[in-house]
Amino acid sequence: MTRTAAPPALEVRDVTVRFAGLVALDDVSFTVAPGTVHAVIGPNGAGKSTCFNVLSGLYRPAAGTVRLGDTELTRLAPHRIAALGVARTFQNIVTTQGTVADNLMLGRHALSRAGFAASALRLPSAVREQRAHLAKAREIAELTGLGALFDSPVALLSYGDRKRVELARALCLEPRVLLLDEPVAGMNAAERVRMTEVVREIRAELGLSLVLVEHDMGLVMRLADEVTVLDFGKAIAHGTPDEVRRDPEVLRAYLGTDTTGEDAA
Amino acid sequence: MTGFLDALLNGLALGSVYALIALGFVTIFKASGVLSFTHGSLLLLGGYLVAVLHDDLGFAGALALAVVVTAAVAAALDRLVLQRVGGTDPHAAHVQTIVTIGIDIVLVTDLARRIGGDLLPLGDPWGNSVTDLGPVTVADSRIAAILVSAVAIGGAFALFRYTPWGLSLRAAAEDREAAALMGVRLTRVRTVAWCLAGGLAALAAVFLVAFPAPGLERTTGQIALKAFPAAILGGMASPVGALVGSMLIGLTEAFVAGYQSDLHVLGEGFGDVAPYAVMVLVLLVRPAGLFAAKGAARV
Amino acid sequence: MSDLLKSGRLRGSATFLLPALLLCALPFYLDAFWLRIGLFSMAAAIGAVGLSLLSGTAGQLSLGHAFFLAVGAYGYVWLAGEPGPGLPPAVAAVLAVLLAGAAGGLFSPVAGRVKGVYLGVATLALVFLGHHVLLTADSVTGGFNGRSVPPLELGGFTFAETDPELTVLGVPFGAEERLWYLGLALFALTWFTARGVLRGRPGRALAALRDSETAASVMGVPVARYRSSAFVVSSMYAGLAGVLLALSFRRVVPDYFSLLLSVDYLAMIVIGGLGSVAGATVGAVFVTALPLLMTRYADQLPLVATPGSGDGSIGPTEASRYLYGAAIVVILLYAPDGLHGLARRTRARLRRRPPVTGPPGTGPSSGAPSAETDTAGDTATTARAKEHTP
Repeated sequence: MTRTAAPPALEVRDVTVRFAGLVALDDVSFTVAPGTVHAVIGPNGAGKSTCFNVLSGLYRPAAGTVRLGDTELTRLAPHRIAALGVARTFQNIVTTQGTVADNLMLGRHALSRAGFAASALRLPSAVREQRAHLAKAREIAELTGLGALFDSPVALLSYGDRKRVELARALCLEPRVLLLDEPVAGMNAAERVRMTEVVREIRAELGLSLVLVEHDMGLVMRLADEVTVLDFGKAIAHGTPDEVRRDPEVLRAYLGTDTTGEDAA
Repeated sequence: MTGFLDALLNGLALGSVYALIALGFVTIFKASGVLSFTHGSLLLLGGYLVAVLHDDLGFAGALALAVVVTAAVAAALDRLVLQRVGGTDPHAAHVQTIVTIGIDIVLVTDLARRIGGDLLPLGDPWGNSVTDLGPVTVADSRIAAILVSAVAIGGAFALFRYTPWGLSLRAAAEDREAAALMGVRLTRVRTVAWCLAGGLAALAAVFLVAFPAPGLERTTGQIALKAFPAAILGGMASPVGALVGSMLIGLTEAFVAGYQSDLHVLGEGFGDVAPYAVMVLVLLVRPAGLFAAKGAARV
Repeated sequence: MSDLLKSGRLRGSATFLLPALLLCALPFYLDAFWLRIGLFSMAAAIGAVGLSLLSGTAGQLSLGHAFFLAVGAYGYVWLAGEPGPGLPPAVAAVLAVLLAGAAGGLFSPVAGRVKGVYLGVATLALVFLGHHVLLTADSVTGGFNGRSVPPLELGGFTFAETDPELTVLGVPFGAEERLWYLGLALFALTWFTARGVLRGRPGRALAALRDSETAASVMGVPVARYRSSAFVVSSMYAGLAGVLLALSFRRVVPDYFSLLLSVDYLAMIVIGGLGSVAGATVGAVFVTALPLLMTRYADQLPLVATPGSGDGSIGPTEASRYLYGAAIVVILLYAPDGLHGLARRTRARLRRRPPVTGPPGTGPSSGAPSAETDTAGDTATTARAKEHTP
């Protein structure tokens, strides 16, 4: 049940997405090396969320390919991509009613089997499976600091806790690649620190590849191994956080057209 | 050949009456995202008012009053009941749709009780007179249906196109939140939409029960449901689509009924349910309707 | 759900045992009139649980439930009767349920892809086309006058007045008494299986795709497949309810299976509270028993006339329709989680606990008391519209 092999590389090549004539992603390419943290940053409307929606199969690109190892993802439905071990969180929290446990168990959907008949008749196999997955979900809740809240209704949780439910639910898929869409957006300073710790731990313990869309540059600089910068749907820079931070193109995109003054400062 | 022309004219007449109802569905849907299952009872209300008032007010007066009253009732239902349901819930429109079913149960029960087992005449001026058009003989009520519907539909389209309300309606249909932020008063857009839909339903009632139909009965309201397939075929949010869908449904029904003897495998009276068969067939091929924006049904 | 595996099971069995014993004892104390009310309520509850699974949990509105009830009822009558293959009634009953499921499966290309309230419109087709078939396919359905229902027979025991004659503890066991226990057994089966589905993996997946189709698909739920599966399962419960209804009525007629019947079932699940087995049951009893009780006590009720006292007066059927039509509106206005949720919140308040916590084992589908419990559908459209910012 647990995926032990090292994650394959996630390769985005020449992806273009158009909405009614508007080019949301223009010929974007980058590669997420196995086991690394890759951040995708850029100003508002640069195409970051679109990029995630392509990776998780919600949008079909007009051109280009996304590959996970040898598997082409762009032609697959979202649930098939999930089954390959690509999990994601949403920027605007999307939880289901019920408890934290219910949400985490939903995260294990792709790893479990019980269908309508087995669940209706409560066959021993279904009961056993449910018990095993519940134990695993509880483990992941502990890892993300939700252990004490496991049986609480999600509706009663704080914003920061619900963000962590999103993360824990994605982890329940035991992903090889985890896509985090603004994991700390809207959080206060303390929650941010805590979330950063959690992400760091996950990375250390689970050895998965992480793709991160984030506005919080502090977080990106601390966590990312590599950064891709998008602006108006184009990838304008790649590199380590340090390289990207010094890239004049990037400064222009973030701070306006006149970069000379900023460089001096 | 006369059979064909007969069916064609019948179909057009029927289609234009369905279009009156379907336009109402679509307008309400655009304004509020609600599917109005109350339409059957609104139609029945309009017809019932004409039936009881025409002795005193004359047909035209009764019809005018029925249209106004039905429009007012529709708007009041939306304002006083529907708009209070669901609050800020993202699924509010769905909850409101179920509420329209509840309202429909109450209204239909009441009207059906008043009508009882009777067939009420509406006192329309064209009665059972007919006109010879070349080789075919057409009921005057059919001609009236086509002409009056054309005027009413034209009027509705003019409202969509040339009034500030029409612009607001389109903005609301596009993105309710954004429209509200830009100063569109959603409550008013909705109220006018329900008024329009109610009035059109009352108008449609008159032609649905006119000759050769025997008169208003308590099940007349169910006919309004046939405009649902019409609106769905058109993609629910497109007035033009609703118009085309209505014609398609009307023609199907008329041709199936007209060629009944050749289609007896399908059973007697299949014409009445043919619109639903067409709907299922279309939904099998295009789940989002014939005129829906491409890709709307993906994921 | 987690407590299913813990102490919940013990407490659960205690709370179930008492009502179960009570229900088993009733035929010894009640006359046929009350047993019939109970019988119809149980049949309705089975159908309502099925609809609740589809509309409450998966957020897919269906107005086609009457059609699947008809498939179950007529399927049984035809399979067990003459004309028809004349199978042993017990086999016919099982096949009738499967037939209803198959009919639901045939509709799945639509049911899987049309979502939320739009499916409600699409399923109108089933009711009207189905009614047409019932009227015109004389050789199978008996046409307008319908067909009489062969009694169920299980291992030499007939669920009818006689054959064998039976008296238990001084109470003669006629058709009502026998069918009561059959109904009880089928209802228990429904309760057991539906809760298994709701609290298990499929129930969670259905609730997820109601709340957000996008999120559900990204978590690995094949959306279309689950939508059609929910439709098929719901059809099978309707088929089972149809069989039991046919056995109770002893005659099936097409006009019973009209749009009104579908609307009745919708009323049941809304009034009871969407998405929960207990809610569907409460709603089913309410909507079924109300007109029967009103008919029985019409002479004692103010404003309600006895049936057949002429045009314009409010008969018991009308009175109950006013009541539950209004109940739908009032409940969605003030208590969107229905009678079941209302009871739960009252109980919670009495225990001075936060209202959303609820008693153990309410399952994933009956969490917070909000209108979210309601039929969803195109959440994904809105969600995606928002994600559209390139």
